[in-house]
Amino acid sequence: MHIGVFVCHCGSNISGTVDCPQTAKAAGEFPDVVYSTDEMYTCSEPGQESIIRAIKEHNLDGVVVASCSPRMHEATFRRTVERAGLNPYMFEMANIREHVSWVGRDKALNTRKAIDLIGMAVAKLRNGTPLFSERFNVTRKLMVIGGGVAGIQAALDAADSGIEVVLVERETTIGGKMAKLDKTFPTIDCSSCVLGPKMVEVAQHPKITLYAASEVDNVSGYVGNFTVQVRKRAVYVDWDACTGCGLCTEKCPSRKTPDPFNELIATTTAINIPFPQAIPKKATINPDYCLQLTKGKCGVCAKVCPVGCIDFEQQDKIEEVQVGAIVVATGYDLFDYSVYKQYGAGKLPDVITSLQYERLLNASGPTGGHVLRPSDGAEPKHVVFIQCVGSRDKSKGRAYCSSFCCMYTAKQAILTKSHLPDSQSYVFYMDIRSPGKGYDEFTRRTQELYGAQYIRGRVSSIHQHGSSLVVRGADTLAGMQVEIKADLVVLAVGIEPSRNSQKLAATLHISADTDGFFMEGHPKLKPVETNTAGVFLAGCCQGPRDIPTSVSMGSAAAAKAMVLFSNEQLESDPQVATVNATRCVGCYKCVKTCPFGAILESEDRWKNPKAEVLPTICKGCGICSVTCPHGAIQLNHFTDNQLLAEVNAICPLPTI
Amino acid sequence: MNVLETMKKCIREALPDLDMVMGWEQGFDTLHATPLFMETAEDVDRLILGPTCVQSLAVHLPSLKGKKIGVVVKGCDSRAVVQLLSENLLNRENLVIFGFGCDGVVSLSRLKKKLGALDFIESAEKKDDRLCIEINGEQQDLPFDDICAPKCLTCSRPNAIISDHFAGPQRTPRIPAKGKTALEKFEEKSLPERFDFWKAQMQRCVRCYACRDSCPMCVCRDHCVAVSRNPHFVSQEATASENFMFQLIHVMHLAGRCVSCGECERACPMDIPLGLLRAKSTEVTSALFNQEAGLDQEAVLPLLSFNIEEETIEEHD
Repeated sequence: MHIGVFVCHCGSNISGTVDCPQTAKAAGEFPDVVYSTDEMYTCSEPGQESIIRAIKEHNLDGVVVASCSPRMHEATFRRTVERAGLNPYMFEMANIREHVSWVGRDKALNTRKAIDLIGMAVAKLRNGTPLFSERFNVTRKLMVIGGGVAGIQAALDAADSGIEVVLVERETTIGGKMAKLDKTFPTIDCSSCVLGPKMVEVAQHPKITLYAASEVDNVSGYVGNFTVQVRKRAVYVDWDACTGCGLCTEKCPSRKTPDPFNELIATTTAINIPFPQAIPKKATINPDYCLQLTKGKCGVCAKVCPVGCIDFEQQDKIEEVQVGAIVVATGYDLFDYSVYKQYGAGKLPDVITSLQYERLLNASGPTGGHVLRPSDGAEPKHVVFIQCVGSRDKSKGRAYCSSFCCMYTAKQAILTKSHLPDSQSYVFYMDIRSPGKGYDEFTRRTQELYGAQYIRGRVSSIHQHGSSLVVRGADTLAGMQVEIKADLVVLAVGIEPSRNSQKLAATLHISADTDGFFMEGHPKLKPVETNTAGVFLAGCCQGPRDIPTSVSMGSAAAAKAMVLFSNEQLESDPQVATVNATRCVGCYKCVKTCPFGAILESEDRWKNPKAEVLPTICKGCGICSVTCPHGAIQLNHFTDNQLLAEVNAICPLPTI
Repeated sequence: MNVLETMKKCIREALPDLDMVMGWEQGFDTLHATPLFMETAEDVDRLILGPTCVQSLAVHLPSLKGKKIGVVVKGCDSRAVVQLLSENLLNRENLVIFGFGCDGVVSLSRLKKKLGALDFIESAEKKDDRLCIEINGEQQDLPFDDICAPKCLTCSRPNAIISDHFAGPQRTPRIPAKGKTALEKFEEKSLPERFDFWKAQMQRCVRCYACRDSCPMCVCRDHCVAVSRNPHFVSQEATASENFMFQLIHVMHLAGRCVSCGECERACPMDIPLGLLRAKSTEVTSALFNQEAGLDQEAVLPLLSFNIEEETIEEHD
């Protein structure tokens, strides 16, 4: 082989603590290396050109670049060597920046390590083989999981560009958390007035198919060709026939059904439509409270329904949908604040969550927009807001900031004043986080114009005293204890990933961070991608986001899907597992360990059992290859021989 | 009817439906048994059961997959069968298992250390907890615990844990003697001492592959990485480092699968204490996954499955 080694200075990023010329000189001594040099910026245009020139001049058939992480520039250099006529997989990268210059100070030792890493890359390359991609067709259809504002935006943008969209929503209506809100910060515009038209657009868009009351059961396949099993939950109403007239909900005798749309501060009927602007506006029976389904006697709704769409026999239905890309926009749920014993552990009726308070403020809420406290229906005079309940609290396993609570608390304090002009609001806060456009002005307005009293400190206890609550806490700026008699306490409860999102992550083969939020492909450069090709993220499933950011992410995810669908065909990654059929004994251990179901129990033409890899599904994780006891299944570009050569390059055989 | 006769009767009855039943017969003297492959009723007459039936016949089963086979198993052998079944390397419906309660087997290498050369054995017989042996015309009467296989001293499963026919009475498991295990004693040594120990042992290894060939869990057979050029894990050079590489690969391949039958150590002509390496790997895997190999044929083996999170491993702090 003729190998060329290019050692990058990366400005002073590498050359500051690594002797690059000496490294390049030493690299020239490795077997098969015929050319080695050092460059200021190898990734720059002149840097790439010098690689191409060297390939031609020195007849190179393999290239090693010692520079940054492959995650940064491997693709760049693969294209470079391809331009010069080499197979892009006859290229190796030695990471002497993140692994060497950035982490070590001793120049001599760093240089030695850089040389070692290059030696490993050369050894691996010497055992490498050219690899070739396969081309496959793309299903130009997008699935959006989650119909909150982020998902709605993604669905609408993609559909407007001409892509078929399937929107899957777990609840019986789309709209997500935003549909529950009263007004939105910092403009105090009505939430449903902005969201409502978008929801209607989803319902009317010819390119969007909506699956409400549905969940994703299973996902198989790969980028461009996913097969998704969608479970349509039994709603006991034939939605094709239901007109949403609401007659059934008026007559239903089971009126004590908990109402999740109203955050459980009100009850509804067993057959219900969550709210007047629901999309789809169809009735749904809650089987746990329906008298017909629990006791077998009632059926009033069936009698009054003018179109006869009630179906007590309905079962869950599983439908298979073929899509090419998936946008995950599963949003958030509120943290279970009952672990805070000092806030009444969920036992005090007048201590409510911010989302429950939204429903009290909302004109379509259970109180018609009158702020009436849950215990006795009286108007509160003193309202205390407590921030960071389940946010920035390591002791409760919630170290992160939920990001938008500061802002909605300020908004709720303003709304309280406008609903109850005689009222006084108090806000216990840790820091006020208001970094958006017009946000800081907004929180100042809350204090200066609307007279909300901001107290910097934590609350140590809330207890019932007669009909009111006593809130005891610290005012750290005044350096004293404060005690406030409150009629209502609103907890700005932190957010956590939507329930069951861990299961979804496993189904989609995407990863989640330690807090359970889905991991983006790169924290800066790939904020809406995941490490699974064809799966994109939008909104709070990726981390706490306010509405404008969620909407931007929705649009961004849609744009990524459009980019994907702009290709007629996609190229498969050839870095996948391959089975050496003559060595495979058909024990199928690889089949059992493959996390992606990419290996089949197959047989050869003599009916001997053999494993078979589906290259388009294989993600190249290599678990099969370490499981196979005799190395019959090898990961291309990371074969046992390549890895052994790397190990041997840094660990010369001891003489024992 | 004694255990042997009961067993013979069981086998004779089952034999017409089977291609073959594997058991033991006497070898060149009464101290040595050799595998017996019974195809006819007359073959069954030669069957023996006793302290000389050291070999685990489970080792032959994977290569006979597809045939209807019967196999006679001790407690330890039966764990190998269970493990092979759980790995789907055997078809249960093609297998008839003849179990019995084992009283322990002799270790020829321990016996040899006691008596010197083991030539001219006239007779060898176990009487209660002693082995009576007539060697070179001399009568020896040895405590069985002094010359039995080390695994028998701590045997907790003397009875076949899986069987279609069970001959004779169930044996009570040994209560392991108090004190440190061989592994614990070995690990008290310092790292350089242990390294020197293994260096010396691995220099003695002749790479005859008896450990591999006797291992019921070694199922790659002709495709063993030890002799493969692609991938080229080990060379044929018989240096300590290459030998050690081979032995460690064997241990790695047995991680979470080793049924501690001790066959590797028994088969080793150089008496290298290979069981120590396996005991260590079993200690690690059972601590990590809270599971022991070869006890449940329905078990999902931790290293042969994929879980996002292992129940028994705390991955996040």
